[in-house]
Amino acid sequence: MKLLGRDFSPRTVLQHVAARLEARGLADGPGPMAEDGTEARVDPMEFNLEALASHADATAPLPLETHRGGLGGRAVVLVKRVFRASCQVLINEALGRQTVFNGHVRDSYAQLASRLQSLELQLQSLREVRTAKVPAPRAPRPAKKRSPRSPRRPS
Amino acid sequence: MIVHQLLPSFVPGDAMSAAAIGLRLLLRRLGHAGEVFAGEVAPGFGSLVRPARALRSGSCDLVLYHHGIASPLAGRMLLWRGPFGVVFHNITPARFYAGTRLEEPLRSGRAQLAALATRAAVGIGVSDLNARELTAAGFPKVTVVPLFVESARFDHERADADFARRLADGGRPLVLAVGRVVPHKRVEDLLSLHAELRAIHPQARLLIVGKGAKGQAHHRALEARARALGGVTFSGPLAHAELVAAYRTADVYVSMSEHEGFGVPLVEAMAAELPVLAFGAAAVRETMGGHGLTFTEKRFASLAELVSLVVEDESLRARLIDGQRRRLDALSPLAAEQALGHALQGLARAAPAAAPLAPRRKGKVRPRLALVVQRYGETVTGGAEAHARMIAQRLSADVQVEVLTTTAKDHLTWTNAFTPGPERDGDVKVLRFRVERERRMRAFNRLSEERFAQGNDLVAEEHWLAEQGPVVPQLQEHLAREAHQYDAVAFFTYLYAPTAWGVPLVAQKALVVPTAHDEPPLRFDAFADVFERPRALLCNTPEEVELIRQRFPAAARTRVVGVGVKAPNARGARFAEKYGLTGSYLLYVGRREAGKGVGWLLELHRVLVKRFHDAPTLVLAGDGDLPARGERVRALGRISEQDKWDGLSGALAAVVPSQFESLSLLALEAFACGTPVVVNAASSVLAGHVARSGAGATFSDAEGYADAVRRVGAARKPLGVQALRYSRRFDWSAVLDAWREEIDRCRSGRGAARTG
Repeated sequence: MKLLGRDFSPRTVLQHVAARLEARGLADGPGPMAEDGTEARVDPMEFNLEALASHADATAPLPLETHRGGLGGRAVVLVKRVFRASCQVLINEALGRQTVFNGHVRDSYAQLASRLQSLELQLQSLREVRTAKVPAPRAPRPAKKRSPRSPRRPS
Repeated sequence: MIVHQLLPSFVPGDAMSAAAIGLRLLLRRLGHAGEVFAGEVAPGFGSLVRPARALRSGSCDLVLYHHGIASPLAGRMLLWRGPFGVVFHNITPARFYAGTRLEEPLRSGRAQLAALATRAAVGIGVSDLNARELTAAGFPKVTVVPLFVESARFDHERADADFARRLADGGRPLVLAVGRVVPHKRVEDLLSLHAELRAIHPQARLLIVGKGAKGQAHHRALEARARALGGVTFSGPLAHAELVAAYRTADVYVSMSEHEGFGVPLVEAMAAELPVLAFGAAAVRETMGGHGLTFTEKRFASLAELVSLVVEDESLRARLIDGQRRRLDALSPLAAEQALGHALQGLARAAPAAAPLAPRRKGKVRPRLALVVQRYGETVTGGAEAHARMIAQRLSADVQVEVLTTTAKDHLTWTNAFTPGPERDGDVKVLRFRVERERRMRAFNRLSEERFAQGNDLVAEEHWLAEQGPVVPQLQEHLAREAHQYDAVAFFTYLYAPTAWGVPLVAQKALVVPTAHDEPPLRFDAFADVFERPRALLCNTPEEVELIRQRFPAAARTRVVGVGVKAPNARGARFAEKYGLTGSYLLYVGRREAGKGVGWLLELHRVLVKRFHDAPTLVLAGDGDLPARGERVRALGRISEQDKWDGLSGALAAVVPSQFESLSLLALEAFACGTPVVVNAASSVLAGHVARSGAGATFSDAEGYADAVRRVGAARKPLGVQALRYSRRFDWSAVLDAWREEIDRCRSGRGAARTG
């Protein structure tokens, strides 16, 4: 275990802790380590497609939960469980069309997302082509100095 | 500029909601007006936060959208026409909630964040960790604006003493943890530590403060284990004063959380001088900033010994607390304000970022003064309002005065009675703004009782201010946008929202006439900006200056200015004849309200009349809802200005029963008529007038009232001479010279604030 802090000596404090443990005849085993990394980016299009796909079936149940505590909470969970077990046939019947509709939404989104991705790729390649074609700017030529004595042409 | 904020839901006690209100405070200090909007607003908070549907495109220069878990508002922002920034409060990794309904909104929130990255003008992380995640999500411009904690709110005196006493009465050490009881906070690890600590200290206690879903299996399992261990309390959420008591009573604060985007309770514990031991996961190390004690591995037996050591070793404890105190500087409101100013650079549409001083005009151009007052007009009653009008009218001879006020006439309900827009009051230009919300007094009184009883957090005080009102967002916006047009902005009365929220917007050219009394709201930190930030405080009496210095040691430069009083020709006999008064009378002029002490005065007068057959009549002049019945009591209702002067000049004495006075125009007008006063001794301002003038008497009970009336009656003539002599101090030319000098100081940039 590592201790961090600039207002004390971590080594001395850890020595004190170890001595106290030893005096009680104890030794401490390893424990979970701290993580401080960032979470990975979640691509919106991929996530939305995945979410649409996983929820397309409107007849599938969500995890059984309640915020209520005590007996009331248990009763609510029990009622929900009984409802699902006994009424699944009716649920299927009531939400059948919704499930079909959700499937179309999912597929449409997938097709649109795919089309958008290919357009983005095309746009990127066009940009690259344009960048390659644009000639490097020429260095400005020094302006010719006109001698103050040279006579001007009559206009 | 105008910067509105939008968040998914506003709930008191929630970190994101507190951050939005904190940010609004900082925005004001940077000169930006704006409101807070939320998808869902907790019941009763409609005055402070408006529903998201009221946020209109084009109503502001910038929107700051607060993002965390998935919200439908993210989709709205993607289609928002105008610049917006995202304030990212971090999202708990979904792995902590695998298989629950929360898993998907957590991942969805991250997907929304990545989608917002393509549209947002800026990403604001409340920590470096959040900033890194914003960058990873694709935000091109990212800055860090840390959350801040106002340390003073965690002082000893803000703690609920009863709660602290109850908490202190029990076994030691007392370990405190603050946060929701949810899986990633790892309450199970706190229990493991507690079990080890009980092996060393059998009386050890663990207090877990925070909301939890008691119906969930996770919570039930925690409670069962806690019962088996003993000495564990799940307190649920606490009121601010109770929370301060918990911090101040505990021996050590421990965090076992495996994910924190910032960790506000860690900083609160530091502010409450409580040693912090924290598992260094996610942003925790960063928030601790090398102070307190951070550990990287959960070895519970060792951690129990560590807790024991911190509790027992006074020297180690003192070093930790001292270091934590230093850490608070980096997490102060000032540090956050500077970071926010940096984050907003370049985002303004066209408005000036802060109200700059008006450029000096060539030649002899009259300076421009904006005068902000909650109500204004000839038919408006109220001492501060009358004071503001007198100043506006008298200054208008050589200053361009523009009064910025509301359309309200009634100070109890703020009902819109006047027409919004420009109008004139003689030479004075008046600009009226509509009040957004009427005040419901019964509910407001209940709220006040609650808020005055104990220490509050910023949200609670800002909520009280919003309920106090009048809420006039357009006036704030006018100040933010047009402040550069004025050389100085004067605010009358500290107590109302237009002043409390307006002063920080234009602090460098603000002159405040506080009219402060020793009353409960004066103890609110929400008023600190009113007293500490303006260029000068123009007070009415030395007593008021003293009171302000006591309450706000860092107050801006103070100066006693007050008002001038000059009595016109007045005849007491005319008044007596007009109203059919025979014999001597005491006169009260003002609102007939309990808050002004009128109910108490009526009771004292009833006792006086009962005891003395020759007691004078009590004459009450002014509107009000308090019934004025009783023997030798006359209520005249509202009377004309001339009647008032006539009445005062013929009175035995003017009576001022109010405890909360910062000047008392009535007393000064009585003196100017050569009439003594009989005043409430509890008001230091009134007692000061009586002591300095020698022209009156004070009372604090029925006996004192009878004695005061008797003494004034016995020496009416000599007291009147002394009253006249004292009234010569209140000379208009000196008052107006002081105002002109202060306006000139604002105009030239002289006389910086906080000169003491």
